[in-house]
Amino acid sequence: MVIDQSKMQSLSDRLVQDEVKGRSPWADARRRFWKNKAAMTGLTILVLVVIFAIIGGRFAQWSNEELDFSVMGQVAQMGQPSLENGHYFGTDNLGRDLYARVVQGTQVSLMVGVVGAAIAVVVGTLYGATAGYVGGRTDQLMMRTVDILMSIPYMFVLILLLVMFGRSMSMLFLGIGLISWLDMSRIVRGQTLSLKNREFIEAARATGVPAWRIIIRHIVPNLLGVVAVYATLLVPLMILTESFISFLGLGVQEPLTSWGALISEGAGTMNYGTLWQLLFPLFFFVITLFGFFFVGDGLRDALDPKER
Amino acid sequence: MFAFVLRRLAVAIPTLLLLIVFSFTLMHLAPGGPFTGERALPPQVLANLEAQYGLNDPLWLQIWNYLVGIVLHFDFGPSFVYPDRTVNQLIAAGFPVTLTYGALSFAAAVIFGVSLGAIAAIRHNSWVDYLAVGVSIGAQVLPNFVMAPLLVLVFTLWYGLLPGGGWSFDDPSFWIMPVIALATSYMASIARITRSSMLEVLGSNHIRTARAKGMPEHRVILRHALKPAMLPVISYLGPVFVSMITGSVVIDIYFSTGGIGKAFVDSALNRDYAVMMGVTILVGALTILFNLIVDVLYAWIDPKIRY
Repeated sequence: MVIDQSKMQSLSDRLVQDEVKGRSPWADARRRFWKNKAAMTGLTILVLVVIFAIIGGRFAQWSNEELDFSVMGQVAQMGQPSLENGHYFGTDNLGRDLYARVVQGTQVSLMVGVVGAAIAVVVGTLYGATAGYVGGRTDQLMMRTVDILMSIPYMFVLILLLVMFGRSMSMLFLGIGLISWLDMSRIVRGQTLSLKNREFIEAARATGVPAWRIIIRHIVPNLLGVVAVYATLLVPLMILTESFISFLGLGVQEPLTSWGALISEGAGTMNYGTLWQLLFPLFFFVITLFGFFFVGDGLRDALDPKER
Repeated sequence: MFAFVLRRLAVAIPTLLLLIVFSFTLMHLAPGGPFTGERALPPQVLANLEAQYGLNDPLWLQIWNYLVGIVLHFDFGPSFVYPDRTVNQLIAAGFPVTLTYGALSFAAAVIFGVSLGAIAAIRHNSWVDYLAVGVSIGAQVLPNFVMAPLLVLVFTLWYGLLPGGGWSFDDPSFWIMPVIALATSYMASIARITRSSMLEVLGSNHIRTARAKGMPEHRVILRHALKPAMLPVISYLGPVFVSMITGSVVIDIYFSTGGIGKAFVDSALNRDYAVMMGVTILVGALTILFNLIVDVLYAWIDPKIRY
């Protein structure tokens, strides 16, 4: 019996390769995520909205502050969306170009969402991981503090802060950052509690790695899945919070604007027949929230397939 | 159970005191006093005003007086902008309105949310299920400040069916749109939570046992499935309550219903710190109280909770 050596070689090569290419849980998750139609749609929408926010301003023929005197006073008749006079989305009630304002509002809203979520991720993860890892009385104290902070009506306190210390972007970020990390820290703490008795943490401790280093090098990287999912779901919540405040007229100040402020303006003028002032900002607001929710749900399903 | 409630109260009361002290200090730190206006007041007038409102006292004494006023007399002090009104009067004017549509919205969100979610889970993968999932996903992106203008657009401007704003205790047509606007997104969340927890419960062993011994389906659901499935919903009620109170600010502004949200935003725009603080503290107290009720309810329903 003659064995074809070259064929055996190729077979063994393939077996070795297969073994090397064994799928990690991350690769599995990625595959599930790419297959999820809703999540991919959401991701596409988000990419398009971000592109719109970044380069949309290049195509505007008017700046967001400029008043178009030719439509002023007759916005309902002259200010509707049109390609001819360069107001793609029409004008607002003062004759400012709505396209430029929507681009600008998109930038502000996305930024608030991402920065708010980023603060939550950093503060919440470190806080929760520390509380969970250190444990004992420190943990009790830290989590009681979170409990207390959670029972404060944060929107009212946020408005209180904005009114008392002046309305500015940094105050808005600070105020949103102050509240957004609470849930995150709880989730992270729970995860840390289950991680901290695993062998690799024990090994690290046995070799004398200091606690802060274990938290940063060994615990935090293992929390990434939960944190990523939660952060994706947090961005739309931050956008909602900011829009809510802007809707009340307490958010960003003119000439800057945001989705909430634009929706509020559009809602205020809709019975004059200028419906586009409501619908354009609302459209961007709604599709972006959809996008984030779909991507967040998709990530969760991808990382935790038994939840269906 | 009694000890559990006491223990929770032991946390709740310091929290509330902390909130009062925190907002008072914040007010003290804020740049500009309540009487800083376009035109500077004569120093003597300013001194008299400050003496009348007790603003000359050291901070700790002011906080102490404020605390004593609230705890002993339920008195939030005078308004800084309307000299003839107290904070209590301003809040009392709006509170019944907020309470009415708030309670209705809360009830609507819970009743419709739970029924929708439960039916969707029972008829899993049927058209009812898809409809429920679709509605709840769609309603997620329709918060109150989006629902309010859309409702007015459709029901007032296009069809002229409902009044676009205002409030009357006698005429329920004024109540409909505020309640729908406030309840929709929470109804959606509650439906989602109910559906997923109900699905989980329906797949569990004790339901299989109940079915196997020949119990009729409606009894299985009402007696054995619904109660454990309610636990995640109950723990979500606390956040819903808070968000609804917050949302009432939008409702009051948009529909001119004149609840406490209106008092809050007006005072925010007028820098009437006393009223802002009064509303914040009242809302904080309600929140803490409600969370306590939810915790007790949870402990009462779930036998696994040790208290």
